[in-house]
Amino acid sequence: MRTRKYRGIERKQARWGFLFVLPAMLFFSLFNFYPILNAFYTSFFNRKVLSRAKPAFVGLDNYARLFDISRAANPLSFYNSLKATITFTLGTFIPLLILSLILAVFISNLSSNRAKKFLQISYYAPAVLSSVVAASIWMIIFDPRGLANQWLNVLMRTPGVDRKWLVDPMMEQMSTMIIYFWKYIGYFVILFITGLASIPPTLYEAATIDGANKSQTFWRITLPLLKPTVVLVSVMSMLQCLKTFSTQYMLYTNGAPRAPINVITFNIYITGIQEQYLSRASAMSVVLFIIMMLLTLLQFKTTKSENVDY
Amino acid sequence: MQIQRTNIPAKILIYLVLLIMLLFTLIPILFMVTSSMMTSRQILRMPFSWIPEGINWINFTKAIRGLDNNYVFLRNILNSLIVSSSVAITTVLLASLTGYGLAKFNFRGRNTVFMMIMGTMMIPFETIMIPLYMVVTMLHIQNTYVGLILPFLVSAFGIFQMRQYLTTFPTEFLDAARVDGMGEFGIYAKIVLPNCKPVIATLSILSFRGQWDNLLWPLLVSQSAKMKTIPQYISAFAEEKATDEGAMMAAALIASLPMFILFMSLTKYFIGGSSVYESRKG
Amino acid sequence: MKKTLVILLLISMLLPLSLFAAGTKEDKVDASKPVTVNYWTHEDPARTTLETELIEQFMKENPNITVVRTTNPSSKQIEVVQTAFAAKQGPDMFNLPIENQYAYISNGLVAPVDYQAAGYKNEQDLLDKYVDGVLDTVTVGGEVYGLPLELTNWAIYINKRVFRSVGLDAERDYPKTWEEMADISEKLVIRDGDILLRRGFDFRYPYYLEFFIPMVEQLGGDLLSADGKKAIIGDDAWIGALRFMQQWGPLGRNLGSPTYKNARSLFNQDNNDIAMTHSGLYQEARIKSDNPEFYDSMDWMVIPFPVFENAVRNVAACYYGHFFMVNADSDPAVQKAAWKLAGFMLSHGEDYLTRGGSIIQPTKALFASDTLKNMPYSQVFIDDMARAHMIYYGENSAQIQQHIRQAIESVMLSGESPEKAVATLRAAVQEVIDEQ
Repeated sequence: MRTRKYRGIERKQARWGFLFVLPAMLFFSLFNFYPILNAFYTSFFNRKVLSRAKPAFVGLDNYARLFDISRAANPLSFYNSLKATITFTLGTFIPLLILSLILAVFISNLSSNRAKKFLQISYYAPAVLSSVVAASIWMIIFDPRGLANQWLNVLMRTPGVDRKWLVDPMMEQMSTMIIYFWKYIGYFVILFITGLASIPPTLYEAATIDGANKSQTFWRITLPLLKPTVVLVSVMSMLQCLKTFSTQYMLYTNGAPRAPINVITFNIYITGIQEQYLSRASAMSVVLFIIMMLLTLLQFKTTKSENVDY
Repeated sequence: MQIQRTNIPAKILIYLVLLIMLLFTLIPILFMVTSSMMTSRQILRMPFSWIPEGINWINFTKAIRGLDNNYVFLRNILNSLIVSSSVAITTVLLASLTGYGLAKFNFRGRNTVFMMIMGTMMIPFETIMIPLYMVVTMLHIQNTYVGLILPFLVSAFGIFQMRQYLTTFPTEFLDAARVDGMGEFGIYAKIVLPNCKPVIATLSILSFRGQWDNLLWPLLVSQSAKMKTIPQYISAFAEEKATDEGAMMAAALIASLPMFILFMSLTKYFIGGSSVYESRKG
Repeated sequence: MKKTLVILLLISMLLPLSLFAAGTKEDKVDASKPVTVNYWTHEDPARTTLETELIEQFMKENPNITVVRTTNPSSKQIEVVQTAFAAKQGPDMFNLPIENQYAYISNGLVAPVDYQAAGYKNEQDLLDKYVDGVLDTVTVGGEVYGLPLELTNWAIYINKRVFRSVGLDAERDYPKTWEEMADISEKLVIRDGDILLRRGFDFRYPYYLEFFIPMVEQLGGDLLSADGKKAIIGDDAWIGALRFMQQWGPLGRNLGSPTYKNARSLFNQDNNDIAMTHSGLYQEARIKSDNPEFYDSMDWMVIPFPVFENAVRNVAACYYGHFFMVNADSDPAVQKAAWKLAGFMLSHGEDYLTRGGSIIQPTKALFASDTLKNMPYSQVFIDDMARAHMIYYGENSAQIQQHIRQAIESVMLSGESPEKAVATLRAAVQEVIDEQ
């Protein structure tokens, strides 16, 4: 931070700036910083939800338990949660990123404005529903007698086969990814369309004059200029995937197995609220928080180094 | 980007992909609408027939009547509306205020404050859930609208958006107003705020939508049936009436109507509003 | 610059702490006359109607007491009460299944029964009113901490129509062993490829402490050793029971699975999609309200809980209870009012049976009453209760059920070998037990 001398008007303005920011800061300290510090603090004890006894200090025991290798075989271990979270996040955000870009390019290519608008609205429609509603619809679709089996069987000419959408571990993971993808695709398509629209058409005209074909235009001009949007979309979609909860919750409370979808957020909830191990849940939360922070910093670092000017 | 030479295979591919995606996104919604009019027998019949055999109005009656036959669903819808609108308003006001402070003023620790605010975006809600609940009960606002709204009063994302937007706001206008003797707060209210309309619109819609979807917090805070919100109602309904798919879909449909109406009337802001990411020049 | 920053941070940290320095006790209700009792319970339309009526009557008779009744879905009720208590904002009176309630007693969160307020002369009077042993589960250190709202066990309901459709006569051909249960279900099942369109019987997932433990016990195993220190006794029994579940599920004979719609909700509709279900006496009231025609036709019956062919013990499904408990943190005047309310409502045992959801209150009077005897198939339930024991209700029962669920899901849905599942289960449950 550069040191500057503040005088007169500048000093007065600085004070105002501070005042403007103060309400938010007070809010955050009470409703964000205090709770997370509290959670951090709790993670060093062995507090259980209903116990009124004074919790004992256990230091790093909770964290050790999370990363205990000998428990890695246990399907409900934290290692498994990490695995489930990584699978879910990568399996959702990569298709989201790639497909939303492709769809945005395709839509921008259309000549009819009405078609463009219609498609954007339709793709976005699932995002308007609440996650609970989305999960309830898809649970019926994934029911053994539901649409998913029926259509897949027709398409693949395999009558009567139950794909076990909510039962088989891998299928269950895929089901959660499908639901999440369905919900958020429209949102990211719109982000990309906006990003594409901000590229001046003059650039494309110049490229065509220079003899570039469509493919070259895309890879050499569009994509590099789209980098800020791409980074924005990847950060947002990745964070969004890490925060998933209601989808897993709805599936589990309707009988689906827990282990394959035991993502960290869900594990925190079950461990803390249902099993009442508050301190263990707090330790998990702290780890999740650190993961999210690292990933975000990582992605922001890559932005800083690539600022394309035109 | 105009297609100069008509490349038929490419065009077909494009249309096909867009069409498949369209079907993928719309069919489940269509499913919800048709199923809400059917009995569960019809819904799970194989193969599924898309045309309902008459409208099974009883689904809707069951959905609205609720599990205890007390029609509390309507009140839950009202609660969701009140909470979501309030959050939308407060987040916009506070985000603009804070974003303005961060964008247009220099004070010590400004960057640190900004970083800290951004950091809060990474705090998963489950982490702070229980301590937050204790804060709320300490203030005796559990099971009240204030308790539902307060933790979401400010949105870090909103602050980020506002700051980005306002960084490019011409400072000349602000200085001119200062020279004219306008107070700082007056400048904010009369010059800055009215010029933020696109961001305000987008932000308020995002906040509204975010709150509308919120299940976990109302689950903790709203204990009496009268104070519950829509997601709570739906998930409770889903658990108890899981085998009455028709009624479930009817409840889902009713719960989605307000958002749909909002969406259809303000599509401009859902879609066009994303132009907030363009930097304003001059 | 740094100094201001530090000050800023300190203020933002200290502010919330200063709020809490004001003390942690919530406002005490005024010790004078008017009191409000917050009563939280789980959803059940029939019981709600009855209790609303009773509460109105109670409030008329006690004008200084206001009762606020709140319901939650059964699974959410557990979490909501917990969270409220965690923040020292628990309801004044509530009920939960005993396996979730015991933790409240052991953590000193609930108050002992106020015998006089509840309408009893003293503790002995209370003990005499109820069936022997029922109150043991909530008696700690000689004091009773809860009043029984219901004592429930589950038996097997049969839809005779579905049996007839495959040429079986339910009255003669009903399953007495688990092996028969599987074979009969096989006859009753209708499939489209792999997909089950109609099931014979299906289990009451995920309440494994209720039905799975007895199945293991029938084969000679136990959840815990007699001294309660060792977990998962009798490998062969556990492996046998798990293997049966594996055979039952989609990887075996494909007779049912946790992801199909739960049987007890489907049963009432008589939609030809389920033939048998596992439920309590209260199911009768629900059949009556959901499908009066089906109820009146008496095309349904109840049979005892089956036993394995080579069972060494004749054990029926466990029974569980719901108890009314009162928050120890509530103002003493409120506590007294709450016990008064509990005693009042519970004195209407016959109403609960006939029109409050068919729930059985384990009073000696009710068990001997004609009202109970006249309820269809009540004798099956009573006999089953006689050969069963209370569900495991230790402090960490929720975690243990989680682990059992995991074991069963792994063999049924993921193809894990029962031997491995038992080993994992033992390690997990032992850990839970050791912590207690």
